Amino acid sequence: MLPTGVNFATYAGEARLLKTARSRVLLALLLAALLAAPLASGPYVLGVAVQGFIALIAVLGLHVTVGMAGQINIAQSAFVGVGAFATAKLSGYGLPFWVVVPLAAIVTGMVSVLFALPAARVKGFYLALTTLAAQVLFPIVILGLPTEWLGGLVGMPVEPLVVGGFTISSPRQFYYFTLVLAVVMTAAAFNLHRSGFGRALKAVRDNDVAAQVMGVDVLRTKIYAFFVGSLFAGVAGACTAWFLQFVTIESFTLFASIWYLGMLIVGGAHSPIGAILGVLFITVFQEGLHEVGTMIMRSNAREAGGAIFAATNIALGASILLVLIFEPRGLAHRWTVLKNTIQLWPFPHR
Amino acid sequence: MIKLLQIIIDGGLVGLVYGLVAVSFVVIYRASKIVNLAQGEVLVIGALLLWTFTLGAPKFGVQIPFLVGIVLTLLACILFGLILERLVFRPLIGQSPFAIFMASIALLVMLRGFAQLIWTAETRPFPQVLPSGALDIGPFLVSTRLLIGGIFTVVLATTLHLFFTRSRRGLRLAAVAEDHNIALSLGVSVRSAIAVAWILGTIVATCGAVVLLSGRVVSLEVASIGFKALPVALLGGLESVRGAPLAGVLIGVGEALAMAYLDPLTNGVASNVLPFAVMVGVLLIRPQGLFGWKKIERL
Repeated sequence: MLPTGVNFATYAGEARLLKTARSRVLLALLLAALLAAPLASGPYVLGVAVQGFIALIAVLGLHVTVGMAGQINIAQSAFVGVGAFATAKLSGYGLPFWVVVPLAAIVTGMVSVLFALPAARVKGFYLALTTLAAQVLFPIVILGLPTEWLGGLVGMPVEPLVVGGFTISSPRQFYYFTLVLAVVMTAAAFNLHRSGFGRALKAVRDNDVAAQVMGVDVLRTKIYAFFVGSLFAGVAGACTAWFLQFVTIESFTLFASIWYLGMLIVGGAHSPIGAILGVLFITVFQEGLHEVGTMIMRSNAREAGGAIFAATNIALGASILLVLIFEPRGLAHRWTVLKNTIQLWPFPHR
Repeated sequence: MIKLLQIIIDGGLVGLVYGLVAVSFVVIYRASKIVNLAQGEVLVIGALLLWTFTLGAPKFGVQIPFLVGIVLTLLACILFGLILERLVFRPLIGQSPFAIFMASIALLVMLRGFAQLIWTAETRPFPQVLPSGALDIGPFLVSTRLLIGGIFTVVLATTLHLFFTRSRRGLRLAAVAEDHNIALSLGVSVRSAIAVAWILGTIVATCGAVVLLSGRVVSLEVASIGFKALPVALLGGLESVRGAPLAGVLIGVGEALAMAYLDPLTNGVASNVLPFAVMVGVLLIRPQGLFGWKKIERL
């Protein structure tokens, strides 16, 4: 959105703000940079990048449920967990990855629909509580099931990922695998905004009575919102399972869900750009804190480790609060403003 | 038969502890329309404050008499409530319920971080505020700590209920719980309502910590009681202070019965699942809970 008072006298001026060949070139350059990045970085950075891509896929799903449809979901991590366990189980049967990923996504979607059904009766915060129930029940149910099914407390080993005859095992190979999935899911999230379904989601978010009057089936749209959001979570879960090579309930806690929500809020819930910026910001921030933490730990006392962990939590909470109070539209809005400023430079108005 | 009754008594008394924590949820909601997911963390902070002013003080070379320690804890709770109101919730007045809900989630992470930073994650003994031991009543054995706590819960809930429904100040708070903007336009100070809500909520949560932990140990994991109390608050009705102890008893008895009779069959799942199954059931069948305000839509 442009600030008021910005008017265009020439078509060329306006075209600079629209999608042009130049923006396509920039996108191609970005993708090329992402493809070339592993050549210049070590395994640690690649591992962080893989986890960033996985988080991006999960947060994009959250963006559909929370940002587009306005339904609070504090169980995204549990849904990622469902996808991960489904992947561990399905790949154990020897299915190829291109069957496992969609199946895991659909299983996750089905599970999420179970917890979206109360949307028929309640909305808003009350619906959020049913997702909280999903998050709390997830470990209890996994622990309660027979150990042969899903591994119980110990967890489950995952068959190595095989793509077209090659076994994917090094961080670099995982980088490319998750990069491709993240790009596909990002494209899907951007396109969702332009589809009829995406508009229905936004209509339900903005005013569900008006949406109903316009002919949107509100209940079905809400349930689909959870379903689609969890498809993303399922894909993220599949990547997690293969990357960690072992799934336990320890990896899918309420705190992980809050991290995902935090990334979305900090980035800006209403656009996929927000999901990307949020994941980028929080990941870089967290890694920075870890760096500082390890430096302090080497030089100083051993209790610094707990303090750094605590400081990460405080920083996350504080950044969510600061964004909520000072920039509810998140980093995505700042990004748009910055982009417009650059494109209109050197004149603030044209 | 005696075993069954003993299970019911124990479950009911534990349920009253859930009820007390649920009261602290309800007090905050009833006075400010904020559902505070971080209530478990608030309880832990209250417990750690009490530890600091009683058992912790001698470690820093300060001797504080026990009663003075309790008074200091209460003052610290009031300060805590005021800080939260000023820094977190005042800027969010009039924002969407979504923003306020997210703020409470952010608070959850942040309070846990602060508790860890200030008090570290170690487990420490909690002062013996209530007497330990058990009373023999007929053939039954009743924990003194839980019995006193239970009586306290019922008295506190009744008092708070009278405050919210009979006093002028309490009714003003009810207006805030109805709608921030309407309350503001009628001249009710939403700021002071939120401050009162958080002060009351912190104090009640600290009382909950006393009943729950007296003579036992306190660690950061205690915060999970917050998620146990959430189904209780919902079953009782988020606006009903009186409903919380009753719902607590219901869920506590149900949990104890499930633990005794269903858990051996279900690998220990039944008693853990029950409160949340009840919560989803309540949301599906009677979203306002047993005694909540009947509104078709909220938030």
